[in-house]
This record gives sequence, structure tokens and C-alpha cells, in this order.
Amino acid sequence: MSQAMDAGAPGGNGAASRNGTNGTNGTRGQGGAVLEGQPLLEVKNLQKFFPIRRGFLQKVTGAVRAVDDVSFTVKKGETLALVGESGCGKTTTSRCVLRAIEPTGGEILFRTESGSVVDVAKLPHGQLRPLRRQMQMIFQDPFSSLNPRMTLLDIVGEPMLVNGVRNRQERIDRVEQLLKLVGLRPEFMRRFPHAFSGGQRQRIGIARALALNPSLVVADEPVSALDVSVQAQILNLLLDLQNELNLTYLFVAHDLSVVKHISDRVAVMYVGQMVELAERDTIFAAPKHPYTSALLSAVPRPDPRSRAKRITLLGEVANPAAPPSGCYFHPRCQFAIDKCKTETPAWEQLTAGHWVRCHRASELELPGIETGLPGTETG
Amino acid sequence: MADVPLISIRDLKTYFFPDEGIVKAVDGASFDIPRGKTIGIVGESGCGKSVTARSMLRIVERPGRIVEGQILYQPDANGTEATAIDLASLPADGRQMRSIRGGEIALIFQEPMTSFSPVHTIGDQIVEAIQLHTSLKKREAKERAVSMLRLVGIPRADARVDEYAYQLSGGLRQRAMIAMALSADPILLIADEPTTALDVTTQAQILDLMRELQQQNHMGIMLITHDLGVIAEMADDVVVMYLGRVVEKGPVDDIFHNPQHPYTRALLESIPSVNATPRVKLPTISGSIPHPYNRPTGCPFYPRCPSFMPGTCDKFEPELIHINDRQDAACFLYGGVPAGVGR
Repeated sequence: MSQAMDAGAPGGNGAASRNGTNGTNGTRGQGGAVLEGQPLLEVKNLQKFFPIRRGFLQKVTGAVRAVDDVSFTVKKGETLALVGESGCGKTTTSRCVLRAIEPTGGEILFRTESGSVVDVAKLPHGQLRPLRRQMQMIFQDPFSSLNPRMTLLDIVGEPMLVNGVRNRQERIDRVEQLLKLVGLRPEFMRRFPHAFSGGQRQRIGIARALALNPSLVVADEPVSALDVSVQAQILNLLLDLQNELNLTYLFVAHDLSVVKHISDRVAVMYVGQMVELAERDTIFAAPKHPYTSALLSAVPRPDPRSRAKRITLLGEVANPAAPPSGCYFHPRCQFAIDKCKTETPAWEQLTAGHWVRCHRASELELPGIETGLPGTETG
Repeated sequence: MADVPLISIRDLKTYFFPDEGIVKAVDGASFDIPRGKTIGIVGESGCGKSVTARSMLRIVERPGRIVEGQILYQPDANGTEATAIDLASLPADGRQMRSIRGGEIALIFQEPMTSFSPVHTIGDQIVEAIQLHTSLKKREAKERAVSMLRLVGIPRADARVDEYAYQLSGGLRQRAMIAMALSADPILLIADEPTTALDVTTQAQILDLMRELQQQNHMGIMLITHDLGVIAEMADDVVVMYLGRVVEKGPVDDIFHNPQHPYTRALLESIPSVNATPRVKLPTISGSIPHPYNRPTGCPFYPRCPSFMPGTCDKFEPELIHINDRQDAACFLYGGVPAGVGR
């Protein structure tokens, strides 16, 4: 459980170069209090257990360890991607960060606009609302996340209304501005969501998330429900908005191609734990955890000439209600030694900014994805 | 080797007739499925790939029906085209179609969660499928079910056969689904987004499994997916569909490295790849897929096409023509402009 945060660690300057011009309304701090590269969010030993209840008296008989000792930082202006397979706890982690669900333990330190650091995990409910303005969410499904009975004006304007913008004209002006920002025509604001395609709806969801000038945007699988040709439009929009508004993204996704495209750093999760965290290029080129390597190898490449021999993982993802002893990955790991079966590996920094949870991380040479294969360019 | 393909789809049109208008879900699709090979059908939502598969099995739901075209099915490798069965003209509930459906031609659906009955054990459901298509006794059918489950890599198959679908994980359920589809020894397996609901590591297992099984029993596979990565991995030939029409077809290597149709090109360019440079602007296809009631006249892709030729593409529908000896594409860039169009 020992932990040292790498606040402002070297090597994380992918974000610092994108020093976007500040904001739309100038309501955000002028970069004085919040410096580039400083952690905007620092999560320490986050835990979320869901109780398992059984029997007539609904006695708690166990717990699903959905998020189990997860620690990471998100620097101002960067994109941190949380990847992993279903049930690995990536969505639960992101919801805990927003306090959409109550974490069981741990700290979620968020640097507010005024420069003070608050622990979101322990804040009383009354004090959460001003914070929520600064952390917003983009949802996966653009079809179910918009109320079909509300016009775009109401949908995008609602966060403002809730947060005290009572003047209707002010809201209309801001919604107009937001719709333009996400590439929709302002005339659309009197229409209802059903009139829009999936990609357009996702733009509406993004406009709503940006309505209050948040500094942190949690995007939970924002493109996975979209068609391939529309997915590229939304990814471009997210990158443009980040540059323009200096946004920080916590990007939850399972599609590694998308993650490779959008992220600065990548955190890989497995059965509620983080198993590896590093710069994007490091993760993809030289992973240090056997699970990361297997995950990368399983991604189908859109090139018939690179039909490579895959590392096929045997068996199934472990049950987070009854995880295996030692390292949770050992039953499926081809490099497992006796130590892996009994001792839980610690979350350790291997090199600057490269965190791994594996006993053998320093000795293993694992394959990543080789870039620049001959003939990979298409079209 | 026989020249007659296992399935030859000719100008298939499957329309839906709801009260609001006509939806031309499949509008003149033609392609062949060779024996023992994998053909990949790619396309985005609404392109008609699933309706094509359902038309082949004659399970298109009302208000949809096949309005035109042929689906020539020749199970005999030495047979001729003249003796092929036209599935499109068989009665959908007739005895012949029932024996083909699920027997000689099997289907795997996308959602392994909803494709099994929740109130019967998976064993009973597989046994039912086996008894429908073979003359095995119940006990033999059960033995066969267990061996099928073992074949698709389900651990403790003899115990799992008596479990219910909800007791299996997504990956195991999809394996059970494949076991059921293969239990009657099909000649053609139609896999409609077989791995879309699965995680990547499970997807890799299922794709490996399908490849292995194909090597063992030489069935043809029609793999329907929107995931170009899966297509690149699995297919021998590729058919690209857009709004109910085949816009391009050819061998997988040509489609990925020498795409001809503007849609295929744009689609390939717009996908982020783990091999590509990160954080650069992706080339996009402008606009979105038109609503089925708002189908453009002429080439269905022209409103989004970078090579749009006014006066031609918006007036006439391009036919699928040979571009070279391997690839076909439906695009006026390669000729086929109707005579008398002077621009």
C-alpha cells in the first residue's frame, strides 16, 4: 500500500506543449493558480467495494472488489486513458472520481480553480455542487443520455440553470456559443434529440459537459457506440476542444486504437487494480506487465499483412468477488513463478513515470506494438 | 475444384414496408461465398449487412421481405449452377428451408446474452438443435452436445452442459453459441458481429477458435462486422457495403492496400490504428449516414464523397464493375457513366 506520488514527474511534458489559449468566457483562472503539468487530480489508494448480500436478512456475505487500491495522477491539460476489459473497474474508478458513487476508501485530491486542493472522497454533499461544475462527464450512449422530451436548449442549458444562471437570454447565448463550439448549428437549439444522428447527439452531450467551463472532463467510452466514420469526427472534436479550452481528460475506453490516438498517458486495469501506468508510447512500445502485453497483442490490426502470432490468454478474467491469491493475473500469466501465487505484487515505479504491479517487471522483455511496419499506410 | 460458389447472391433486394414508407435495407447486393473460405462483410450501421444474412436464412421479420433477386445455394461441390437451390424463392417456413436453416447454414448472433433461452439448460438447447437436424437419439445427441462444448474449449463441458446461460460468462456463452451452431455440421457459418460484445482478449480466443474449426471441417464463413481490424485478421475476401449496396469487393489484401471506392478509402483512413501516429487529426468522412427514408438518389455515397461529380453521381446509380482482375467497385470514377451524360 506504500505510495509515492510522482507529482510533476519528468517526462510528462506531452501535455505542457499544448498550452491552449484560455477559454470562452474567461471565467477560468488565467493559469495563475493552476500550473501546466501540475496534478489536477491525484487519486490515492482508491477503493470501492460493493457488498454481496445473501439470504432472508440480506446479510453481507462478501464484497465485489470493483476498485481495489488504485492510485494515479492526472496532470493539468493532459489525457489519461483508463483501459481494461469489462469488469476491470475502469468505469467505477471514473465514477468515484466524480463522486457519482461513494468510494469505500482512499483519497481523491482535486485542485480547484482557486488553487486549493480538496479531497472529493470526503467532502460533505453540500460542498460538492460547486466542485461538480469543474468536473463534468461525457457518456457512452448518446441515445439514452439525452432526455427525449427536452430541446437542445434545455439539455445544454440545464447545467447552467442548476448552477444559478437564471437569465434565459444569457443561457440562450451561451448554448448558441456551445453548439457552435461542438460543430452544430445554433438554429438546432429548439429541436429535440430524436432529430439528430448518433454523432450529433454525442456532440450535444459534449456541449452539455462543457456548459460550465469544467477543468476535468471524464469521458466514459465516448466513441464506442458510434459508427467508424463518425468516431473519427468526435475524436477530432475532443482533441480540438482540449487544445482550445485547455481541458484535462480522464478517458475511459476499451478500444486500444482509440486510446493510442487520444491519450498522453495510459493506465491499464485488471480486476479492480491498476497493473501498469506509463506514457502512451512507453505502454505501446515497451509494456512491462504481461497483461498489458497480451492485451496489445490481442488488438486486431487493420492490415491483413500483419496477421501476427497472437499471445492468446487462456481462461477468463478473475472474479472480483473472489480474486485469486497473490497476483490477480497469475492464473493466466505465462511468466508466473511461485512467488506470484502467494505474494501480492506492489504498485511500484520502475522508471520515472512508469508504474507497474508485477514481481517480474524489471526482468521481463515483453513485446509491444511495433510501429512503422512496412506497408501499414492505407489508401 | 468446383467453380460453382457455395452461395451466389444476385441482385438481392430486401425491403421493409412500415407505414411510414419503404426502407430499402438491401438494394441490389451481389456477391459470392466460396467454399471453405472466409468472406468478410464490412459496413456501418444501416448498410444492410445483417439483413443480407437474415435474407439468406429467410428470417427477415415483417414488414420486411425479399422483393427481388436470387440466393443460389449449391451445397454439392461438384454440382452445377443449374441444380442450385434458390433460397430466395423457397417458402420460408417450408420443410427444405427449415432443414437448411440451422443445419447446413448456421448462424451466430451478436448478443450471446439474449440468444439462449434463459429457462432451458444450454445442453437441452443444443440437443434440440441436433435432434432437429440429425436422426440421433436423445442420449447420443447429448453426448454430441458435450463433445461440441469440449471442441469449442469450454472447460468441464460435461458439467457445463447442464447449466443455464446466465451461469456462463460472455466468452463462454459465445463459445456455447458456436457449439450449437456447429452441432449440425454446417457447410456455411454466418457470424453476425460474433465478437462485438466481447473483450479483446476473449475476441482473440473466439477468432482463433473459428479459424481452427474452419480448418477442421472446411466450412465457409460469412463474417459480418464493422470492425476492420477483425476483417483484416480473418477474411480471405471482403465485401464493403453502404446503404444496402455493395460498393466494393475483392481479396482482403487489395481492399486494405489498394482500395478503389472512395468510401472504402475514407473508411480505412478514418480509423485510428495502434500503428498510426497519435494525436493527429484523423481524416473524416463528412456528414453522417443518411436516414433510411432519406436515401439520396443516384450513388448513395455522393453527399459524403470527396470525388463527387455533379450531374453524374447524383443522377445515376453506379453498377458494380470490374476495376481489375481481382476487384470490383461501384463508382463512376472507373467508368460506367451512362451514355448521353455530357458534362
